[in-house]
Amino acid sequence: MQDLLAASRCPRCRRVVAPPARICPDHPVAMEPHLIPAVGEVVSFTTLHSPPEGFRSPLHIAIVELDGGARLFCHGEETRGVKIGSRVSVEDVNSIFYFSHMGFADRARLFWRRTGYRGEKVAAIGKSFVKGFWKGRSRGER
Amino acid sequence: MTRFGKRDESLPDLMTEAALAALADAGIERPDALIVAAMNPEEFTGEGNYGSLIGTHLGLSQVPALRVETATSSGMAAVYTAFATLAAGIHRSALVVGGEKMTHLPTPRVSEIIGRSIDPHERSYGSTMPALAGLITRAAMHRRGFALKEISLVAVKNHAHGVRNPYAHFREAVTLEAVMESRMVADPLRLFHCCPISDGAAALVLTAEPAAVRIAGIGQGMESIAVRYRWDLTSFRATQAAAEVAYRMAGFGPERVDVAELHDAFAPFELISLEDTGLVPAGKGGRATVDGETTVGGRLPVNPSGGLKARGHPLAATGIAQVVELVWQLRGLAEGRQVEARVGLAQSIGGLATNNWVTLLEARR
Repeated sequence: MQDLLAASRCPRCRRVVAPPARICPDHPVAMEPHLIPAVGEVVSFTTLHSPPEGFRSPLHIAIVELDGGARLFCHGEETRGVKIGSRVSVEDVNSIFYFSHMGFADRARLFWRRTGYRGEKVAAIGKSFVKGFWKGRSRGER
Repeated sequence: MTRFGKRDESLPDLMTEAALAALADAGIERPDALIVAAMNPEEFTGEGNYGSLIGTHLGLSQVPALRVETATSSGMAAVYTAFATLAAGIHRSALVVGGEKMTHLPTPRVSEIIGRSIDPHERSYGSTMPALAGLITRAAMHRRGFALKEISLVAVKNHAHGVRNPYAHFREAVTLEAVMESRMVADPLRLFHCCPISDGAAALVLTAEPAAVRIAGIGQGMESIAVRYRWDLTSFRATQAAAEVAYRMAGFGPERVDVAELHDAFAPFELISLEDTGLVPAGKGGRATVDGETTVGGRLPVNPSGGLKARGHPLAATGIAQVVELVWQLRGLAEGRQVEARVGLAQSIGGLATNNWVTLLEARR
């Protein structure tokens, strides 16, 4: 079982966009809510060495094409080993998408790094555990 | 046009310098209309109402004036607006002037202001113009086989052209090694692959009377402002659409073009644009550059002015400066960098290729 991301689909051309949009970019019609799996492949990526104010340097940005047909902008912890076409999973952390294509241990480490101070970590681990339990099993590798 | 680069004059002064030179060249004192192009003057200079401001500053306070904006292609949008009012028979002559003043601000601030032309969601990820260009460059290298050396040679060539242009921001040659070893900006793009931050203004006069050079075709093409909404990152649909409209209006194709000014804000964009405009077959942009076809003296000189890379890129001045360079080339006035040409093509990119233009100019026999 894998995570789903909120997206929108155009009732006319079936185009899917994420994050959700009110109106299709190609038709002036309202889009419908849609869910797509949070896995896909890297379309391109770059590392910005002097990012804008408020962002860490170096800043890793990727465009990921999700299997459900939408392309997403994502941050990444690193781009070492990433190639165009690499399979990645995408996580929504406080409304920012992160891509990762690493093993379970690496993902756990990133999870640890992304969450804030200890109280937040405990709450996040608790939430993640409950979520896993609720779904029948915890999120594993693809 | 004014010399591009770091200038101490105010934007209205720069625009006035360019405008008065264009009016004198055209032998017109008072045009029927004034079309002003400025991308972000409110943020860069703190002044607004640019149509009226420049009209009054120029001594043309009673001439109908408009300001036009399509991000970094604003200059060409102003040329189009003037062309349309003449074609519609509303005016007989129009003065087009565009410019930007940016170098007095720190680079991060300039980057931030230019970055406002990016989709807000994508900007919230820290995307700047170089970041988006880096994403496009990597995809183009992967899917279209552009080599880093070919991309870097574009910068080397355009710097070499800039040496011979007295209006250029940079008048020094650079070596291939210097380009390929310059500071990394947005992997795989390096500093010398990117155009500079420049001040400057450019102007021209359009008239309904027969002149030495005519606009044979002009076309606009659009693409979603969101890069994530595009299926192809490695060519610009906005350029392809604009080229199709321009060629149809002109009644001829890319085979008639002798010289081109392309929007090389980032060096790989020249290769992409060469192919998008049909000037070289798909997949041959890099080869044409390596073989020297696009150098002054080659089969199809591209950016004899030095392009955005060396002439500089004062945003809204650029589209007009491209047309000015082509007019000089077609009239035989491009001293030191003159090419043999009867038809010229200018291509201008607005934002990250969201609002592009292709213009065809033809010398009258």
